[in-house]
Amino acid sequence: MSPSDAPGFRTADDVPVELREDLAGLLLSLADNKRLLGMRYSEWLLGAPTLEAGIACSAMAQDEWGHSRILYAMLKDFGEDPGQLEHEREAAEYLNSELLDDPPADWTGLVALNFLLDAALSVQIESLKDSRFEPLHYKVRKVLEEERFHFEHGRGWLERLAQTEAGREALLAALTPAWASCLRWFGSPEGGLVVRLEDGGISDAGPDGLRARWLDRVGPIVRQAGLGLAERNADGTWESAVALDWSAWDVSRRRSGEGGLNAETLAGVRGDKNRTMLMD
Amino acid sequence: MGHLSGEHLYEIFARQKREDRLEHIGTISAPNAALARAYAWQTYDEQKWFEMVVAPREAFEAVNRDEEPFTLSPAEVR
Repeated sequence: MSPSDAPGFRTADDVPVELREDLAGLLLSLADNKRLLGMRYSEWLLGAPTLEAGIACSAMAQDEWGHSRILYAMLKDFGEDPGQLEHEREAAEYLNSELLDDPPADWTGLVALNFLLDAALSVQIESLKDSRFEPLHYKVRKVLEEERFHFEHGRGWLERLAQTEAGREALLAALTPAWASCLRWFGSPEGGLVVRLEDGGISDAGPDGLRARWLDRVGPIVRQAGLGLAERNADGTWESAVALDWSAWDVSRRRSGEGGLNAETLAGVRGDKNRTMLMD
Repeated sequence: MGHLSGEHLYEIFARQKREDRLEHIGTISAPNAALARAYAWQTYDEQKWFEMVVAPREAFEAVNRDEEPFTLSPAEVR
């Protein structure tokens, strides 16, 4: 059933029970990834290669935190307590990509998060723009308007760094693991919530469809930069030149590996330093 | 502010409403057009712009003066 020919849901209560948990899981996953990505951007407010890049990181951090706040707040309708979600969870309860467990090693690593992971989150969010869950419509459009400039920033830095041989080598080292992680993040083709949400008309694409959209977006640019991670098919679509290893895939946490946020990141993201002020 | 090699100057123009004239609102240094667009939008964000465009300074044609237009560097105009 496509999103357009099925009746919409105005509140979480209208969503069929069998879809409600999956939708809440998707919103929490997006909220967690955006909150953490915002933290990674914020770590470069000072120390970015140029003043303009530092300002851009500040703007992108604020955007991501705004988006995550909107998403956590939406979960209230699903019976969740946004304050608990934001401040009271342990590392294993975060539904974040493994790429956000630890800070990137250097600026090139941040560019990989900016260009690949931020774009993956946007592709997933874009799949909700005509969702049967109607509260998403306006919010998705606002998020995507801001994300347009995150993509430009990642693309601009990728092109800038790819101008030298040393830059291309550093990019390839940073982008290769992020590339596979992002492709897996859309979910294994056999199952998981992304498949069920497409079947239920909440999202307009499943894992393979999302992967194709992401590849069409980032593929031409990495190819142009001489990184060879993607290949163009005869019909103009793009495919990954990197085979995916699913052996460590955890379908419930939507990530590879058993790890999680490091202690410093966990303390920062849930605001442990301000715990005494969280009285209400 | 130090400049990395390969940086270019971009002039930023914007209007708040469709019927407004496009006005010069600033200058930004960036290595390419994608970064010029991102920096311009994220730096000049005090207003809600209806439209913003950037143009490389190299694209400007001097009309009445012999020297290059906009001779001040971004550091000087800040």
